[in-house]
Amino acid sequence: MSVIMESKNVSKQFGGLRAVDNVSTQVPEGSIFGIIGPNGAGKTTYLNLLSGAHSTTSGEFIFCGENITGNSVHKNAKKGIARTFQQIQLFDSMTVLDNVIVGFHKHEKSNMADAIFRTKRYWREEVEIRQKGIELLERLEMAEYIDQIASNLSYGMQRKVEIARALATSPKLLLLDEPAAGMNANETYTLLEFIKFIRTKGYTIIVIEHDIKFILNLCDEIMVLNFGQKIAQGTPSEIRDNKAVIEAYFGTGRVAKHMGVAKDE
Amino acid sequence: MEGDVKSRITKKSLKLSKRNLIIAVAVFILLLIMPQFLSAYLNGVAVRVMIYILLVASMNIVNGYTGQFTVGQMGFANVGAYVTAIMMTNYEISFWIAVVVSGLAASLMGALVSYPARKLSGLYLAAVTLGFSEILRVIALNWISVTGGAMGIAGIPVPEIFGFRLSTPLSTFYMVFAFIVIMLICNYCVISSKVGRAWISIRENEEAAKSLGINTYRYKSLGFIYGGFWAGIAGAVMAVFYRFIDSNMFSMADNFDVLAMMIIGGQGTLFGPIVGSTLVIGSLEAFRFTAAYRGIIFGGVIIFMMWVRPQGILGKSTKDGPIKMFYNKLVSRSKANRKGGTA
Amino acid sequence: MTAAFIFEQLINGLSQGSIFALFAIGYALIVGVVGMATLCHGEVIMIGGFMAFFTISLSWIPTNIIVMALICFIVPALVGIVIHIICYEKFLDSPRHISLVCTIGMSILLINLAQIVFGTQTQGVRTNQVIQPRSFEVFGVFIGMIEITIFIVVIVLCILLALFLNKTKYGVVLKAVSQNRKAAALMGVNVKRATMVGSLLGCGIAGIGGMLFALYYSSISPLIGPPVMIRAFSATVLGGMSDISMSALGGIVIGVMENFGIAFAGSAMRDIFAFMFLILVLLFLPEGLRLGGGRRRGR
Repeated sequence: MSVIMESKNVSKQFGGLRAVDNVSTQVPEGSIFGIIGPNGAGKTTYLNLLSGAHSTTSGEFIFCGENITGNSVHKNAKKGIARTFQQIQLFDSMTVLDNVIVGFHKHEKSNMADAIFRTKRYWREEVEIRQKGIELLERLEMAEYIDQIASNLSYGMQRKVEIARALATSPKLLLLDEPAAGMNANETYTLLEFIKFIRTKGYTIIVIEHDIKFILNLCDEIMVLNFGQKIAQGTPSEIRDNKAVIEAYFGTGRVAKHMGVAKDE
Repeated sequence: MEGDVKSRITKKSLKLSKRNLIIAVAVFILLLIMPQFLSAYLNGVAVRVMIYILLVASMNIVNGYTGQFTVGQMGFANVGAYVTAIMMTNYEISFWIAVVVSGLAASLMGALVSYPARKLSGLYLAAVTLGFSEILRVIALNWISVTGGAMGIAGIPVPEIFGFRLSTPLSTFYMVFAFIVIMLICNYCVISSKVGRAWISIRENEEAAKSLGINTYRYKSLGFIYGGFWAGIAGAVMAVFYRFIDSNMFSMADNFDVLAMMIIGGQGTLFGPIVGSTLVIGSLEAFRFTAAYRGIIFGGVIIFMMWVRPQGILGKSTKDGPIKMFYNKLVSRSKANRKGGTA
Repeated sequence: MTAAFIFEQLINGLSQGSIFALFAIGYALIVGVVGMATLCHGEVIMIGGFMAFFTISLSWIPTNIIVMALICFIVPALVGIVIHIICYEKFLDSPRHISLVCTIGMSILLINLAQIVFGTQTQGVRTNQVIQPRSFEVFGVFIGMIEITIFIVVIVLCILLALFLNKTKYGVVLKAVSQNRKAAALMGVNVKRATMVGSLLGCGIAGIGGMLFALYYSSISPLIGPPVMIRAFSATVLGGMSDISMSALGGIVIGVMENFGIAFAGSAMRDIFAFMFLILVLLFLPEGLRLGGGRRRGR
């Protein structure tokens, strides 16, 4: 399987804090790649570096063979990186369909002149993106919510809309930042199935999550960060039994001993 | 499916229904006929209202649609006014060419201010746009060789169309009316397009917009350019209506007046600027007899609007304002009475 | 371009700059504690200036500087309370632009009210009645009692304010509210009262600034609000809108900049120096400077 994204020795320094420390990894195309780690491990920062929201202090990101380090967010988005955010960032006052339609922006070629003079191209594209939007929502089984105002939906539904909107950009790589945050068990399960379903359409997905069960059930490969450093990478079963990972989460005290990992006193 | 979706688009964005269409046409015809029956003075007032409509609408594009807090449209109008005045008095160029050049010149100024504006928001952005407007004003006041300095430019000729001179308030009314109709159509067309969507998404959530591939810096600049254009047109109209311009017609206080009209009318709406300008200028004229107290009433009205309906008359609110809440209370109380006492 | 000329411009710049610094300190105090920007600060300053005028011209008020300072503090402070109740208190949790537009309305109202009550003309202020028209020659330049008075008043006020904010209990409360309102509330602080005190203090200080302004220029008019407001605002931008010492520094810089600027470019350009300062600061320091770090949270 080819590598769609590679990070080489990526670091980010915020003043005195080294938020991301020399992280190198490769993400296989078409996989679901998880990033886990305790709070403050640098997961979201890493994602921000990848998407371009922050600039790296050192290191490189290679995406589809191209060096994208230092690109702005919208440039990377145009190249095929889409993301969702830890706190859902929908366009609250717009309907679900309108939210998704904005996602088609980078595919539209008409400009202001087309708009004012209502050229054929304007009408063609307006109809096209609405059709594509409706089709996308139908495929994701959200057709009944098309005309609902985004802020009126349930939390779980809003998250799906945010993901649908990201998919509208036809990305090669989808970044999901703690998509299950704030969800109950039911919503989390639905989301899990949803992401698996999306993967069958051929997208590569990077997921950051706290919920270890979620990640272990979902991902093909997992990278573990702690204090900004990569401490482990492997398949779910490898990670589950990895000493360094357990120590990062549970420390070296009693609980870890109970799991048969820590040294005896 | 295609015709279906097409009509869906138009209907939804225009809120077109038979009833609205009839009302719109009726109002349009009324406005066309009305000036014939009004005195020259009232027509003059109407022209002033319409000039402000152009200004407020131009501010509305930047503020209400791209979400950038600008308070400096008068600076662009200033540029537009001087460009038209100079072209017409010194070079005897026809108004119809001058007005377009004015709009473009003002757009250029808009593009210029958009650069420092890109990374700012809120009060800082407002201050920079206001500062830019003031800097333009002071430059115009001092660039005596070009602008005549504090003396301004007088004796600006009237526009001519097909040999017919537009010298009365009545004829100017129709000219500005035409501009406003064109502007409304342009605004509507742009808002309900890719550009408009990009603007609104920047207003709602800039980070999310960026993550969808929208070049927010470019669209923010585009907002200033488009808004600046219409402010420039407004300035050009002022030049030929007042037939005299000087920089102090575009002061800081004037900028705040435009802001107040936009807020009162409701920002982010297509017709808000019309409501705001009409109401404010209309009442200021109606209260002319109160002389000095007019200003106090104006200030008081602004404060009143913020207390009672901060989203403006046509604005959408995210939660119920004081009036709606009072109304709800009345309704629930009358329901309780009907049920027999217990609420 | 003699040394004396430069020194003279410097003294002028520092005098005016100190007055601007006072404006800026009052502004930063209000923005910091209340948490909202205001656009009617200039009118409060104007009222302070008129109080100075009345102290001199009304015979039943003893014409000495202490009485004047008291009146020029108290009356604007009271006006500040009114402004606070109308424009801030109701909107403490609303979007910022609502209170801002409210203060614009307030500013329009106050300017017109002042024109009705005080008249529309610029009034002369007989500074000599309060401050002896003596001057001292230093390095070939004359420094008048008025400049010295300004320096003394501003320095004393700054010291008093610093002592209040850092050493007294209520001063620390104000600082707490300005840094993190929610946390302060959780600590049992009466936030509503604290914000009102902030407004009161800020406007009182602005009033003293207005007094000095009127004395320095020997004149006062109802229309000085907007230009003065611009300088106050531009100065506070240097301090990220809420840092008092940086705002004071901003005021001094603007004062000096203006004086040297108009010495070379002519007085017609006077108004734009504040804006140029503003744009420059925002271009290079979008967040302003802040002594002692700390980020604002809990808003």
